[in-house]
Amino acid sequence: MTSITEAMPANAARASRERFWYPYLLIAPTMITLTLVSLVPFIYTVYLSFHAAKFGRVTDFIGFDNYLHLLSDTRFWNSIGVALVFVGIAVPIEFMLGLVGALVLNQHVKGRSILIPLLFMPTMMAPIVVGLLWKIMLAGSWGLISYNVLERFHLIGQTSAFASPGLALYALVFVDIWQWTPFMMLAFFAGLQALPLGPYRAAAVDGANGVQVFFHITLPMLAPLLVVIGLLRLIDAFKVFDTVYILTGGGPGISTETPSILANKMTFEFWNIGEASALAVLVWIAFFVFCNIFYQVAKKRLNAF
Amino acid sequence: MRSMTWYLGAGFAASATLIAATTFSGSLVRAQSGSFYAEAAKPYKGTTIRVLDEITPLQEALSKIVPEFEKETGIKVEWELLNHFEVINKGQADMLSGRGYYDAVMMHGFQLGPMLSAGVIRPIDDLVKNPKLADPNLATADFIQRPYKTAAFAKDKQYAFINWNYNQVYWARGDLLSDLEEQTAFKAKYGYDLAPAKTIEQMRDIAEFFTRKKGEKLAGKPLASDFYGIVLEGIKGGSTFGVLWNNFMKNYGGDIVDAAGKPNFDTPENVAALGMWAQLWKFAPPGIAEYSLVDVPTVMGNGIAAQTIAWSDFVLGVDKPGVSPFAGKFVYAPVPVKAGSTVRSAEAEPSVTVISAASKNAEPTFLFLEWLADKKQQDKLIELGQGGVPIRSSSWALPAIKDNPNKTLFAAMESTLEISSAKPKMPKYYELYDMLSSIAQEVGLGKISPADAAKKGQAEMLKLCTSCLL
Repeated sequence: MTSITEAMPANAARASRERFWYPYLLIAPTMITLTLVSLVPFIYTVYLSFHAAKFGRVTDFIGFDNYLHLLSDTRFWNSIGVALVFVGIAVPIEFMLGLVGALVLNQHVKGRSILIPLLFMPTMMAPIVVGLLWKIMLAGSWGLISYNVLERFHLIGQTSAFASPGLALYALVFVDIWQWTPFMMLAFFAGLQALPLGPYRAAAVDGANGVQVFFHITLPMLAPLLVVIGLLRLIDAFKVFDTVYILTGGGPGISTETPSILANKMTFEFWNIGEASALAVLVWIAFFVFCNIFYQVAKKRLNAF
Repeated sequence: MRSMTWYLGAGFAASATLIAATTFSGSLVRAQSGSFYAEAAKPYKGTTIRVLDEITPLQEALSKIVPEFEKETGIKVEWELLNHFEVINKGQADMLSGRGYYDAVMMHGFQLGPMLSAGVIRPIDDLVKNPKLADPNLATADFIQRPYKTAAFAKDKQYAFINWNYNQVYWARGDLLSDLEEQTAFKAKYGYDLAPAKTIEQMRDIAEFFTRKKGEKLAGKPLASDFYGIVLEGIKGGSTFGVLWNNFMKNYGGDIVDAAGKPNFDTPENVAALGMWAQLWKFAPPGIAEYSLVDVPTVMGNGIAAQTIAWSDFVLGVDKPGVSPFAGKFVYAPVPVKAGSTVRSAEAEPSVTVISAASKNAEPTFLFLEWLADKKQQDKLIELGQGGVPIRSSSWALPAIKDNPNKTLFAAMESTLEISSAKPKMPKYYELYDMLSSIAQEVGLGKISPADAAKKGQAEMLKLCTSCLL
């Protein structure tokens, strides 16, 4: 009794081996690049988070000290709170406005070819430009909107959104909505354009109205895209840095200090790299858990994947 | 035998004296003929050094002089200028990394504590003592002493000379203070003559008096927009807390640490200073919490505020025809003090250029730094800038300053520099400053009372350090 392998000609065995390795060979360049640019720095960040690393010098292994210090720091929790408020307000509004806008665009609006590039302008701008633009718009005493419109025409007096602890965060939310709603709109619009026409024709034959079509056809078919874009935007909004850095620097006080701003301060101002690494790792863990839960919910409840 | 020893000793002493005298007179002759640096630089001819400095009008004037060093010594200088925030971030990052791309980096006084504690600044005592490198005519006694001593030295070691003497002055609208109608109204309300504020209390009165709404009259003319009695820095970061600390707290007899370096933020003096700080914010533009050290001179130049305390080097860029419509109408004075106080303090930032511990060109870099601080270069710098901010006492007598039409500015500068100190060398300076900046902002915005702010500041400081000095 000879085995199958023994019976298999040598060239067939080689072909089988090649078939096995072929996909790995194809993705190898990407995996190597990703490992080098993502995984290695991340592993090093984890390593730093367990060490005393001050002024760029890694010294003693200190276990969870950086984490414990961070978790007992009110400033860390404040930054998490700020990010949650920011994300909790900005992303749902961007999502809803984006979806409504996409549905409107999908209705064969006149001048759509001109409108789409115009709509995309805020998203195409560098965050630093967006920051400066809104600084000019909303600055106290001289801002184009705050001073020359609101104050001059006695609509609102003493406007200085970014200088007010109560208003600064909401002003930043407004800027974020202004910048990212068009992105959501265009992403959803692209999704709508790619939907098959068959189900719509069937719905028309069955006499479904617009609301029924939207909730029973459009939304379920668009769900995977909505979930992915929403999740990406949520992660991105939580990490917001540039516009906050330009417009408020995390102030007044610490009222707009997001985890990214705090991490930047810890790293490049205080040179407390160990603790900043611990912050980065904690945020990563939180997102890892959140994204997994979100994925499972989206898969089971929304049939999104 | 004893006489033999004596003869030998005497002979040796005489020889040594002769050698020393010859060396000294030789170097004096070399220095006088202007060739000391050429001679000292011979071993380093062809070397390239990299120096990072901050960009302000002062450095722009200096950049016209730097090529002369290259001509004189054959040492090439790559002199990079970046803005205030970049020079701090990039310079520190390079030094802390140990890469040593820059041989020398400009440092504000406040940076020295953290950087010294990180061990990335090279002491220069050995270079200062090296007769081949030390210019005998440098005349360090001519440096304005307090800023020089407090910035360039730490723990009995010298780390630099002095390069920049950034300092703050009181800056007001002279045309308003001398307006007869305003003077009469002011005297009627406050009981004393309207003039540039000498005390913090007077500054507060002037701030209150000149805060007016659109449509009200200012110097007899109706206002087209709101006018404010004072403008101050209020942004988180920048030099906001420095203004509060050195112009208010210290003038009230307070400080953030005691002599031993223990946090001392919750004293009655500091509470009183914070109270005054909060009062002044009420007479400032609504955007004060966004104003940085750059915005304050802009606001003053645009003419929407009556007075401020600002960096004198920024004044030089604003109070000139073509820049501000109020050029020539401003008046300057020393930073106001607390009424009745014998203490005098003013915010200043004596700044130095230090040699990176990672530099492989310490000697030629030292020669360049020494050359920059030399009287000849400093005189030229003042002349080129048609004024400037001196680091040497002898500069006050230069025609560019003595005959400058802006006499009150230079008088104010001189007064400030007499009492200017570099920030105390604190390893945790940045953490402390960031936290206290937040508190300064919260007090100004009325989010927290001065007493609570003092308690909060003290508690937060103690979390960071119990002995905060190097």
